[in-house]
Amino acid sequence: MLRLALVFLKIGVAAYGGGWTIVGIIRTEIVGRAWMSAEEFVKLVAMAQITPGPVALNAATLVGYRLHGLLGAAVSTLAVVAAPVALSLLIGGFFAKATKSGARLTEALKTGTIGLIAMTVWAFAPAAVSSGLNVAIALTAFAVSAFTRINPLWIILGSGVIGAATRAFLG
Amino acid sequence: MNDTSPPVKRPGFFSIFGFFFGISAITIGGGYVMVPVIQRALEKRGWLPEDEFYDLFATAQSVPGPLALNTAMFAGRRVAGLPGFLAAFLGILLPPFAAILLLAALLGAIGDWPVVQGFLDGAFAVVPGLTAALAFNMIRKRRWTPLRAVMTVASAVAITLAGTWAVPTFFAVVAVSAFAERKGAC
Repeated sequence: MLRLALVFLKIGVAAYGGGWTIVGIIRTEIVGRAWMSAEEFVKLVAMAQITPGPVALNAATLVGYRLHGLLGAAVSTLAVVAAPVALSLLIGGFFAKATKSGARLTEALKTGTIGLIAMTVWAFAPAAVSSGLNVAIALTAFAVSAFTRINPLWIILGSGVIGAATRAFLG
Repeated sequence: MNDTSPPVKRPGFFSIFGFFFGISAITIGGGYVMVPVIQRALEKRGWLPEDEFYDLFATAQSVPGPLALNTAMFAGRRVAGLPGFLAAFLGILLPPFAAILLLAALLGAIGDWPVVQGFLDGAFAVVPGLTAALAFNMIRKRRWTPLRAVMTVASAVAITLAGTWAVPTFFAVVAVSAFAERKGAC
């Protein structure tokens, strides 16, 4: 339980670049430590993205719940937001004034963040080529969210329905 | 001119809590969906003008953590100080926490049904495409220099290979490229 808290504390500190980057870090930490299999984690991510709220928080809550029940869910959720909350309280308006050196830091963070998102893409890419249907869904999702402003939720729900229908009618 | 502007009515803890609770409870799809929703709702209430919101958003991005949560906490504090900060934190956090526990319990009961399995498989199949699009947009929107290109490729390779060392590797990459940026600017 303490290790769960420490791992999520660490994830929170490096949680730059928004939800999907964080999901990638969570995956590396949890699957890398064999606390959960890659298949289990995939199911969990699917659940996290169809639940309201930030996807990274949902994933953290679910991992904690799966590993240690209700208490685990509370521990992982609070641990993952501890560093962001503390830093937000400390930084506040003063950071906005320090934008001179901030610009350089922002660029450095972008470099690291693209690295993190590359790791996430790499981790989830095998799932995209596991079947013809998955290739089609992944390509559609990419095209829609890269080139249109349509809410990705519709793609997520649509693919879920397609997946359910495929399973129901083709077995 | 020394006329004081009309005092802006500061919303209280519970109205801010309710505001973010509502947004968090109905918005599915993570930070990039939630942030625009928060912005429009704040402007509509007259709590925060658009340009100020984007300043806050930029600051929120410089802090680690879920984007929607950080943005909400900064906005809450701007609107109503520390109580606003706490109200935003709880408002964003509680609905997904409750929803996810309900869903986990529900899936414990029906998770083995083929249709449910199929739905989850389909919903997950989107993730590689979504994350690739995110990477694509970050790469497209950045102002590139040869230095940044080299650093970014090196960073991607190093972090991907690092396994459970990804987090320390990330900070090493940030430190090295912050240093390199300074040298480049001189």
